[in-house]
Amino acid sequence: MPAERLLSDLLRDDLGLTGTKIGCGVGVCGACTVLVDDVPVTSCLLLAAQAEGRSIRTIEGIADGDRLTALQRAFITEGGFQCGICTPGQIVSATALLERSAHPAEGEIRDWMKGNLCRCTGYYGILRAVRAAAEASA
Amino acid sequence: MIAPFELVRAGSLAEALELLESDPEAHVLAGGTALVLLMKQGLLRPSRLIDIGGLAELRGIRMNGDLRIGALTTHLEAERSALVRRHCPALASCFGTVATVRIRAQGTVGGNLAHADPAQDPPPMLVALGAVAVLESGAGRREVPMEDLFVDVFETSIGPGELLREIVVPPLAEGARATYVKFLPRTEDDYATVSVGAVLRVDADGRCADVRVALGSVGPTPVRARRVESALRGERVTPARLREAAMLVREEVDPIADARGSAAYKREMAGVWTERALRALLP
Amino acid sequence: MKLDHSARIDAPVERVWAIVSDVPRAGRLVPGVGPVEPLGADRYRGTLRVQIGPVRLDLAGDIEVTSRDETARTAALRLDAADHRLGGAVRATMRLALTQATPSTTDIRIETDAQVLGRIGELGEPIIRRKADRIVSELIANLAREASS
Repeated sequence: MPAERLLSDLLRDDLGLTGTKIGCGVGVCGACTVLVDDVPVTSCLLLAAQAEGRSIRTIEGIADGDRLTALQRAFITEGGFQCGICTPGQIVSATALLERSAHPAEGEIRDWMKGNLCRCTGYYGILRAVRAAAEASA
Repeated sequence: MIAPFELVRAGSLAEALELLESDPEAHVLAGGTALVLLMKQGLLRPSRLIDIGGLAELRGIRMNGDLRIGALTTHLEAERSALVRRHCPALASCFGTVATVRIRAQGTVGGNLAHADPAQDPPPMLVALGAVAVLESGAGRREVPMEDLFVDVFETSIGPGELLREIVVPPLAEGARATYVKFLPRTEDDYATVSVGAVLRVDADGRCADVRVALGSVGPTPVRARRVESALRGERVTPARLREAAMLVREEVDPIADARGSAAYKREMAGVWTERALRALLP
Repeated sequence: MKLDHSARIDAPVERVWAIVSDVPRAGRLVPGVGPVEPLGADRYRGTLRVQIGPVRLDLAGDIEVTSRDETARTAALRLDAADHRLGGAVRATMRLALTQATPSTTDIRIETDAQVLGRIGELGEPIIRRKADRIVSELIANLAREASS
């Protein structure tokens, strides 16, 4: 693998895991969010070589086969997406949040999710979905 | 999109220093958030990167009276560290305001300082706290006060062959309080229009025993507000005096006009936010 | 991007003019400029290295003196330079005017109008402006030192 390969390109082009999206390409929008050792990172600014030997989770690895997680179901029932381009990043980010903090405070949700931009929903549906998923796990 | 380069992984600090010495043109890769972006933009085409990401010597947070943060500690680790929170809550929350959680999870405390972007959050806070950067090279170790680390936009006093090893944050003096405030008129994840790190100690008779103020985003480096400090030191800190002193910062900053405001606006806001920061520290 | 610099130099106007109208000599006063070679007919070729943190620009290109008035002591230059490795170019015009302030001092004014093209522009205008401003300021400071020594 060439040293200059980005993790986002490795996932999409070499492994065919196109659920990870590339939006801004400069680390701002969050569409390319994946988990490296359970921590969300910007895969468009991470060299694939930096992730060598570490555990990578993409949107493809969130659901258990066809069984969606409570968070994914909440995105559907709460209207947490519209066009869908940002959704993989939103769900990967929120998954990491709920794994760290099962019942996050409102401020914690907002701070954690602020790096995942959405141009459709106005964010309220996304926040509702994260809250609903946290409550569902109670 | 990124031009080809050679990636060399350093297995130890000693090896990293040898690699640096043998190839002064090589760039150091830590978290990569800033470096990889410069390479994607085509502004940087290094022939070799030295990956120091695996160096255990540069990781972790320790206390020995002073707080010592290893250069490869991520912002997220620093923000959530019980040691940092206990030592100085304002510093922990400052690390927590950097960019977004993803960038904080990837970008390192040392990489951020070495990148020397004047719009970054930790530099002014660390200058106000009197922190020190520990630099290591084949020739040995030297300590540089944080305010001397920054030379210009994207330029530091880290010399060729030197690596930022850790930062040392002395404890706040008894009775001193610290804060970091950030003015974000556009969006929450934006760079600050102006930011202020401040430490204030007011003695029992309401006089300013000590004060340190530094600003971000309003000059090529963090700006230490020495005039503000000397107008307050030894004086009784009334709200009026605080305001008068804070406004002196307008003569100390050197902002540039950009999408976050004109130079004149930023100068004005530097005064306003310096006052707010200091007022929040009054007993 | 327009820059306007004025300064007073402690040297007679004839002396300052003699330096600035000798392009290779004046080039040595600009930080980062390599040797400037004449191409004839008031055209020159030179290089300029600019370091902005980790980013290094190596600009190579031509300088042309487009007008020169010995009696008014004004001159205009056109600079056209590119960094082929990074992919980007700088085009600039500079207007220089000297005025005798006193028999032993000279007022200098340099008006620069520069365009930054291509990838170099990714650095953002504010950073480029600050750097350009510093280069012209250093040129004037070096000129003052050379003229008054």
